Amino acid sequence: MIGLLPIVLVGALILVLGLRLVLQSSGTQRQDHSVSMEELTKAREALDTVFVESAAIRRIFSPEDMEFVAHASPHRVQHLFLKERKALAIQWLRKTQKEVALLMDIHLRLAAYTLEPSPRFELQMTAKYFAFMFVSYLLLLLLWLRGPFKAKRIVDYTVGVAGHFCTVFSVRLNSVNAPRLS
Amino acid sequence: MIANLIWWAGIALETAILLRGAQTGLLRKYPLFSAYIGCVLAKELIGLFTYQFARDLYVPLYWPTELATIVASYAVIIEIFRWATRHKPGLRRLAQNVLLIVFCLTVAYAGSDFSHGRFASLARAIAELGRDLRYVESGVLLAMLWLFVRYRIPLGRNLIGMIVGYSFWIGCNLINVAFWTQPGNGFSVLLRGLLPVTYLITLAIWCVTLWLAHAEPVPPSESKIERDYELLSVRTQAVLARASDVLLRLTRIRP
Repeated sequence: MIGLLPIVLVGALILVLGLRLVLQSSGTQRQDHSVSMEELTKAREALDTVFVESAAIRRIFSPEDMEFVAHASPHRVQHLFLKERKALAIQWLRKTQKEVALLMDIHLRLAAYTLEPSPRFELQMTAKYFAFMFVSYLLLLLLWLRGPFKAKRIVDYTVGVAGHFCTVFSVRLNSVNAPRLS
Repeated sequence: MIANLIWWAGIALETAILLRGAQTGLLRKYPLFSAYIGCVLAKELIGLFTYQFARDLYVPLYWPTELATIVASYAVIIEIFRWATRHKPGLRRLAQNVLLIVFCLTVAYAGSDFSHGRFASLARAIAELGRDLRYVESGVLLAMLWLFVRYRIPLGRNLIGMIVGYSFWIGCNLINVAFWTQPGNGFSVLLRGLLPVTYLITLAIWCVTLWLAHAEPVPPSESKIERDYELLSVRTQAVLARASDVLLRLTRIRP
């Protein structure tokens, strides 16, 4: 019976993807499918704004504020503070995920129209994107379960995965022509 | 009575698809799909006539004709793939590679499954081969659907209808075939009873979506789409790398 599971899963996935294709095509008939350079730039700028506030973001995860509140405030205030920080951290992470997903979506739409996409690059890109999403969802879960200050040990475990992911990107970026990126 | 009704309804829908296709020009536009429908129609007619007039021939003919239609259904995959990637030589190459890998993997899986089987009769062997061919077909179809959804390939309404009907039929069929090996299972009995109905629904989807010939989507003009794929790819990589880097730095903040 357990052996049937993958087959049933494939059958169910075919049905789900078929339905998704219908929804997707009915949606795209209403909107222009092409992507302009401006659209990509806008998406990149939107993602940049997430990182421009990196100092403020670091502050969300910084334990100093928590230590101060723990010393100077009653338990109720500490609880409220923790709740707000957790909400902020999760909100930031969700926003980042959304922006990256948007950028990836634009890239895929472009790839669909590109005459000569590189299969190797596309497969690598897909793997990297899934790795990023996996790590970010893991972090989201950790934030939700343990809060922004107490997840360090478990978060450290994910650093290895994220580190490998970043190394792959760094190697690729070494070959980037910097003036073309600006 | 109900079985006969479904049988006749199937034949009527298949005939309608072919006749309407001849009128609208879709028969010539999608020759492989039309050949598949023709093949299924021939199988249905052979089955009907042998059942009515030469019942001794019905059982010996059933499995070979069933196998022939399963093999013929690969033509639908080729047709869908041919039309979906006709303006995208690069994507066609990418899809071909992915589909080839999936095909080899599933053929290897099905082959090993088939070689380990002990068959009491030719009918049983054909049924097993048919099941394995369905597995291969499902693997290829799944990969193809994933590519279409992931890359948001613009598809015409006729092609969408063809894909949706085909996915519905293969998805239901695969689940049914999987439970075939569990004859005592109540769900298996229910699925077997529903299979002819799912095929009728598939034919109805094809009949409705292929009733009129719709124009294929036109690719956007060169000026609107990306001109430098490499540049944009590098940009996307850079932004992803930066996102990962920030994420990594944040996880390294000491408590």
